[in-house]
Amino acid sequence: MASLRDIRKHISSVRNIRQITYAMKMVAAARIKRAQGSILASRPFASRMETMLKDLYGELGEEDFRTSPAYPLFEQRKDHGPIGLCVVTADKGLCGSFNNNILKASLAWLARHRGRKVRLALVGRKSRDFFHRLRGLDLDIEMELTGIFPKASYAHAELLAGKMLDSYAACSVCGYTVVYNEFKSMMSQRVVEAQLLPLSRHILLDPSCGPLCHNFAFEPGKAEFLGALLPRYVKAQVYRILLESQAAELAARMSAMESASNNASDLISDLTLKLNKMRQAMITTELNEIVGGAEALGG
Amino acid sequence: MTKKKRLRMDMVTPEKPYLQDREVDFVALPAERGEMGVLPGHAPSAVQLRPGVLRYREGSAEETFAVMGGFAEVYKDKVSVFAEAAELAREVDEERARQEYAGAKAALSARAPDLDMEAAQASLRKAAVRLKVAELRRKCHPGQK
Repeated sequence: MASLRDIRKHISSVRNIRQITYAMKMVAAARIKRAQGSILASRPFASRMETMLKDLYGELGEEDFRTSPAYPLFEQRKDHGPIGLCVVTADKGLCGSFNNNILKASLAWLARHRGRKVRLALVGRKSRDFFHRLRGLDLDIEMELTGIFPKASYAHAELLAGKMLDSYAACSVCGYTVVYNEFKSMMSQRVVEAQLLPLSRHILLDPSCGPLCHNFAFEPGKAEFLGALLPRYVKAQVYRILLESQAAELAARMSAMESASNNASDLISDLTLKLNKMRQAMITTELNEIVGGAEALGG
Repeated sequence: MTKKKRLRMDMVTPEKPYLQDREVDFVALPAERGEMGVLPGHAPSAVQLRPGVLRYREGSAEETFAVMGGFAEVYKDKVSVFAEAAELAREVDEERARQEYAGAKAALSARAPDLDMEAAQASLRKAAVRLKVAELRRKCHPGQK
């Protein structure tokens, strides 16, 4: 049975832990505002780019499109040769099941593509450590990007997307899938597997906008223009993914740390109750002993 | 008297929108094949931008930006610029730009075997643009630092 002193010690250590988790929660809460702000700030760029792509495609016509340098980005390649997987996790733990969910999802993805050579692009220290420990699979780690959160910038996205585009263009990889956490709300994140490359045609075909007759003058030619625009579209996508994951990580950490603080508070109140009961019991027994002793003397 | 026609200008980068629906009189874009001036009534066009200097005039005030490549679209007196990165001329740090320029030059001349030629040249161009903007600023506003 624990003594009073042990319980007091236990309470104070739980209190210290609560202080830390509470501080982490507040830090995450402060950072998440900025993360959400940068998601919002990146939206105009992405949406304008999409409109421009659609306009351009409307202008271009199918025939020109096939010969443009952008066409390979859309090409569905044959099902052999290596495939690419990009895993986006956090750098740090203490954010609930955030990293585990991603790693589980990527393992499931690897199981589905058993027997093929896989090239990995890893973002975040957790995924790097995990895949370095993983052996016995035909994995080829192509790129590692760690320490970018919570200050992911467009330069990072450019680096990552550039690498993926390069290995795609060199025809060594026939597609890239990204596994990341989507920021759904402050309370929930969702694991998403999205195909990054080849691009799907529907980004160009929007039924809502009819044929356009703007008669744009293009400088340089339309095909080159599209060819220059699409890699930037991919980069913008990657940037969005990084920002989403960053916000989701902070949200996950915030709720994990909040429940940890609550648990610590519960534990403290349980322990305090136990402590008081025990102290009361001791006082009662002592009193009983004194009364018993006095009676024995006086009797 | 009819109101003078003006351009509306948007400028966005992935990290933040810079200008939104700003009314301006004249824009000069650093297009791929030389600088392109845009006045109200310009024909619809889409241009690719190289790293360079973007200027716009608003009344008598002129503002200069360094843009690092991107695209611009002119349609119905509306200019939309999507730059990969942009910097207001006032915010460019001349000393840092000079250091970057020197660093990029050195990297190019050293010719290390694993040097990515294109990346090194791109960083050299970017540094050159920053430097140019800083010099322009000094010429136009000698009083300012």
